[in-house]
Amino acid sequence: MGKQTIRERIPAFASILGLLVLIAAYYIVGAIRDANVAYGLKAVVNQSVVVALVATGAVFIYTLGSFDISLGAATGVSALLGAMAYNATGSLAVMFLVCVGVAVAIGFINSSLASVFNLPIFVTTVAMMSVLSAFMLILIGWNGAGDTIKVKARDVRPLDNIPFKVAILAAYIALCWFVFTLLPTGREAKFIGGNPVCARLSGINEKKLAVIASLISAVGIGLGAFLTIVYAPTLNKDTASSIGMDVIIAIVFGGMPVSGGPRSRILSAVVGAFSMGFLSQIMSMLNLGSGYGQMIKAAIFLLVVFIALGSQRGKLLTR
Amino acid sequence: MKKRPLLKKLLLSLLIPCAVLLVLEAIALGKGVRLFANADSWKLFFRAVANVTLTTFALSINLDSGRFDFSLGAVSMLSATVAGTLAQQWGIGPWPTLAIAVAVAALLGLIHGGVYVLTRIPPIIVSLGMALFYEGCAFAFTGGKGVSLVTRTDIIGFSTIGNYILVTAVAVALIVLLFDFTRFGANYRALVSGQKIAVETGIHEVGNALGCYAVSGALMGVVGFISLANTGSQQMALNFGSIGIMFTAFLPMFIGGWIGRYINKRVGIMLGAVSMALISLAFARFDTASSVQSIVSALLLVLFLIYLNNEFAILSKFRGKKEAES
Amino acid sequence: MKNLKRFLSLALCLMLALACVPAMADGHVKIGVLVSDATSSEALAFRAYYTEYIAKAYGVEFIYSDELTDAAGEKSAIDNFIVNNCKAVISFSSFDRPSQIDQCDAAGIYYAVATGTLSDEQYNEYKDYETYVGAIGPSNQIEFQAGYDMAAYYIDQGMTKFGMFGGAVPYYNDMHIYRAAGMLAAMVEKGGEGANYKGADNAGAIIGQIYADGSIEPCTIGSLELAAYVGGYDFNDAWFGKLAQMVGTEGIQAILTVGSGVDVLGGFISGSGVKLATVDSFTPAMKEAMDNGILDYMAGKFAASIGPIFAAMLNAVNGQPIRDGEGNALALGQGYWVATSAEQFAEYSAVDSSMTDPAYTKEILDQYAAAGVSYDDFAEFVSKYSFDEIVALKK
Repeated sequence: MGKQTIRERIPAFASILGLLVLIAAYYIVGAIRDANVAYGLKAVVNQSVVVALVATGAVFIYTLGSFDISLGAATGVSALLGAMAYNATGSLAVMFLVCVGVAVAIGFINSSLASVFNLPIFVTTVAMMSVLSAFMLILIGWNGAGDTIKVKARDVRPLDNIPFKVAILAAYIALCWFVFTLLPTGREAKFIGGNPVCARLSGINEKKLAVIASLISAVGIGLGAFLTIVYAPTLNKDTASSIGMDVIIAIVFGGMPVSGGPRSRILSAVVGAFSMGFLSQIMSMLNLGSGYGQMIKAAIFLLVVFIALGSQRGKLLTR
Repeated sequence: MKKRPLLKKLLLSLLIPCAVLLVLEAIALGKGVRLFANADSWKLFFRAVANVTLTTFALSINLDSGRFDFSLGAVSMLSATVAGTLAQQWGIGPWPTLAIAVAVAALLGLIHGGVYVLTRIPPIIVSLGMALFYEGCAFAFTGGKGVSLVTRTDIIGFSTIGNYILVTAVAVALIVLLFDFTRFGANYRALVSGQKIAVETGIHEVGNALGCYAVSGALMGVVGFISLANTGSQQMALNFGSIGIMFTAFLPMFIGGWIGRYINKRVGIMLGAVSMALISLAFARFDTASSVQSIVSALLLVLFLIYLNNEFAILSKFRGKKEAES
Repeated sequence: MKNLKRFLSLALCLMLALACVPAMADGHVKIGVLVSDATSSEALAFRAYYTEYIAKAYGVEFIYSDELTDAAGEKSAIDNFIVNNCKAVISFSSFDRPSQIDQCDAAGIYYAVATGTLSDEQYNEYKDYETYVGAIGPSNQIEFQAGYDMAAYYIDQGMTKFGMFGGAVPYYNDMHIYRAAGMLAAMVEKGGEGANYKGADNAGAIIGQIYADGSIEPCTIGSLELAAYVGGYDFNDAWFGKLAQMVGTEGIQAILTVGSGVDVLGGFISGSGVKLATVDSFTPAMKEAMDNGILDYMAGKFAASIGPIFAAMLNAVNGQPIRDGEGNALALGQGYWVATSAEQFAEYSAVDSSMTDPAYTKEILDQYAAAGVSYDDFAEFVSKYSFDEIVALKK
C-alpha cells in the first residue's frame, strides 16, 4: 500500500485540530467565566473515558460499514449484572469478569444472529437495544432494592482515580491499535468496509470478521461497564443509556467516516470522545438555557463534523 | 417472468395482517378478552394504523436511499409544538392547525435536507445534529412548557375513526401518486437503485433529496398533530429523547417490503402498519407490561428478518420435505 | 488551504461567540442546581422562581445541570459545578444522594436537597457534615399522605369505582410508589371490614406489595373497586390505548394519578364525566383544565416552596449555617397545597405564578436568610407552608 497523500491525511489532522480549537475555546471561556479549568480537565477525563472505551471498540464494527445502536444498553446490562455479581461475592475481580463476560456474550449473540441468519447488524442491534433495555428493568425488579442496584461507594473508591482509568483506556487502545493496524484483521475489516464485494471475492470471511469485531467491541463495552460502576456505583434503568448516541457522535467527531472503510482509525474514537467532553464543559460554563444550549451544541457539532470531514465530500450525495 | 393471478396476489398481500389477526384473536379467546371490545379499541387501532403508516413512509422514503433519519421524532414534536401554540393563540380549528403542522414540518424537513446537501455530511450524522437542534428549538419556543390544548374540544375532537381513516387514505394515495406516478417518483426510484448512473444520466439528485426530506417532514407533521389531538398536549424532550418513534417503523417497513412483492409497496407498508396496529391493540387489551412489549416487538422483528433473509433456504427445505413426503 | 480557511472561520466563529460570554462579576455567588426533570410544569415553575425571581433579588447565578438520568450524570454535573466555582449545590435529583453529598463535601461546597428528604439512615450519616445544609420537602410519609388524602376525598363523597395512573411506579420510583400506596391505603381503610389490597391491609404491607413487582393490579378492595390501572411513561400507541380504555371503563367515577394526570389523560377525560385528580403544579395550563372541569383535584407543590432551602443555603454560604442544638443539618417536611375547586385554584395560582410577588418574597426570606436564625425559628417558618399561613405571613 502506498503512502497516504496529504489530502488523505487531512481528516485525521482536521479532527485533532478540531479538538485543539475546542481546548483553546475551553481555556478562553474558562478564563472569562473565572472557572477552575484544572479541575475541568480531570472532569473531562472522567466524563469521556467510558465513551472513549466503548467507541474505540466500536470502531471495528463501524469499519465494516456496520452500525450498532445497542452499545449503551449492552453497557448498562453488563454494569447491572457486574454490580449484582459484586454484591453477591464481594469481589472486584468477579465484578470485572462479569462485566466483560456479559458484554462478550451480548456481542456474541448480536454477531451470531447477524452472521448465522444473514441479518443486517443495525436492525439486529435495534431489536437487541429493546430487549436489553427491558432486561435492565427486569434485573432491577429481581434485585428487589427499589429503583437502583448499588455497590458500596467506598468499595470501588480506590479505583476511581484518573491514572487507573487512563491506564485501562491506554491498554485497550494499544490492544485495538495492535489488532487494527498490525494484524490482517484490521486490514480485512477496512477492505470489507471499503468494498464488500471485492473483499468477498478476495476470499475474506465477512461473517468471521463480524464476530471478531463484535467481540473486540464487547471487551470495550465490558471495560466501560466496569468503569461506569467505579465512577458512579448506583445504577438504574437508564445507566449508560446515552452511550449509544455518544459513541456515534464521538466517532464522527473524531473524523472517521460512518461508512467505515480504509479511512477508519482507532484514534478517531478517543479524539472524538474528548472533543465531546470539552464541548460539554464549554456548554456548562456558558450556562445557557436547556433549549438554546442544545441548539448551540447541535450547531457546533455539525460545524465541527463539517470541517473534520472536509476532504471526504464527493460529487454524489453522501449515503 | 412468472405472473401471479390478481386474486393470489391479493391473498398473499393480506396473508400477514390476517395471520396476525387470527393469532391475536386466538390468544384473546384464550384469555377471555375481546380484541375489538368497544369504540375505544377501534379508535386505538385506526390511530395506530395512521401513526405507524405515516411514520414508516417518512422513515422509508429516505432510508431506501441510504439516508438514515434520527430526527423524525423531533420534527413531529417541533411541528406539533408550533402548530399547537398558534392554535392556542389564534383560536383556529383542527384542520388549519393540521395544515400548519404539515407546512412547518415540511419546512423543517427541507431545512434538514438543505443542511445535508450543502454540507455533504453523512445523512445519519446530519439527522443526529438536526434532532438535537429541533428538540432545542421546541424547548426554547415554549420555554420548556410544551403545549396544552386539553380544553380545546374542537382539536381533541379531531381524534375520530373517520378522521384517522381519512388521513391515512389521503397519505397513502398521495405517496403512491408522488412516488409511483410522477417524474419525481421515477427519479427517486432511479436514484435508489443506482445513484451514480442516475446522476450521470442527468437526474437532479439534490432536488430529489430535498423533496424527499420535505415529504418525510410533512408526514411527521401529520403524526405530530395526531398525537397532539389525541392527548391534548405536547410534551418536550431533550438529549435525543424524541428518537424512539423511529424504531416503531422498522417492522412495518420490512413487512411492507415483503408484501410489496405482490402489490404496491406503499400499500404493503400500510398493511404492515395494520399488522403492527393489531399488535398494539393486543398489548393494550391484554394489559401487557411495557418490558414484555419491548421484548415481544424485538423478537417479532428478528424472527421476521430471519425469515426474510433466509427465505430461499427455508422455502427450499420446506419444499424438499414436501416432495420427499409425496 | 481550503481546510485552513474553514478552521480559521470556525476559530473566528468561536471567538465571536466567546466575546458574547458575560464576564463574572466580583462577589457573584454561583449555585449549581441538579435536575432530573427539566420539562415538567412543576420543574419549570421551580426553575422560573429561582432564575427569574431569586437570582435577580439576591444577585446570585444559578447554573442548571442537563436533565439527568442516572447517578453518573449527577456526578458529572457536580464536577461541572466545581469547575464553574459554584459555592453550593441544590439538588432536585435523587439517583444517589449520598454520593452527591460526599462529592460536594470533598470539594468543600455546600449541598442541600430541595423538594425531598434523606432517609433516616442517610440523615444520621450526613447530618453533622459541615457542608450538608439539609433537606426541605415532602418526605415519603408526606407523599403517602398526599395519595391517601386524594383517594379519601372521593371515597368520602361516596364514590366507589376508581382508576389509577401510577406514573413511574413500574420503574420503582419511591415518590410515586408512596403516593400510590397512600391511595390504596385509603381504599383499604375505608373499604369496610376485611378490605385489603392483595392481602395487604396496612401501609407497610401495601408498600411492600408494590415494591415486590413494580405493579398495581386492578381489584376489589372491600366495598370499593380499583377498576383499572395504567403505569409507566411508554408514550406508544398501546399505552395511549390503555389510558383511553381506563377512562372508558364502565362505571368508573374518578381517576387518581400520582402525577402528570392532565398531560397524559387530559385529552381522554374531556367530556367523559370522569373526575381527574393529580399531583402537579399551579400553572396556567392546569388552571385552564380546572376551570373547564377536566381537572377536579390537585395537590401541588407551589413554586416558591424551594425558597426556604435557598435561604438556608445562603446562610451557609455566608458562614451562618442553621443547625440544631447538636449541630445537625436541617431535615424539614413540607407538604402540598390542595385545590378542589376552580376558585381555590385561581387563588393559589395567582400567588404562585407571580414573579414580582411570589409566595415567598425576598422580604420574607430575608428574615431567615440572616445571622442568628435558630433551627426552631426556621423550622416553624417552613412548617407554615399552607396557603393561608403564607398569605398571613405576607401580610
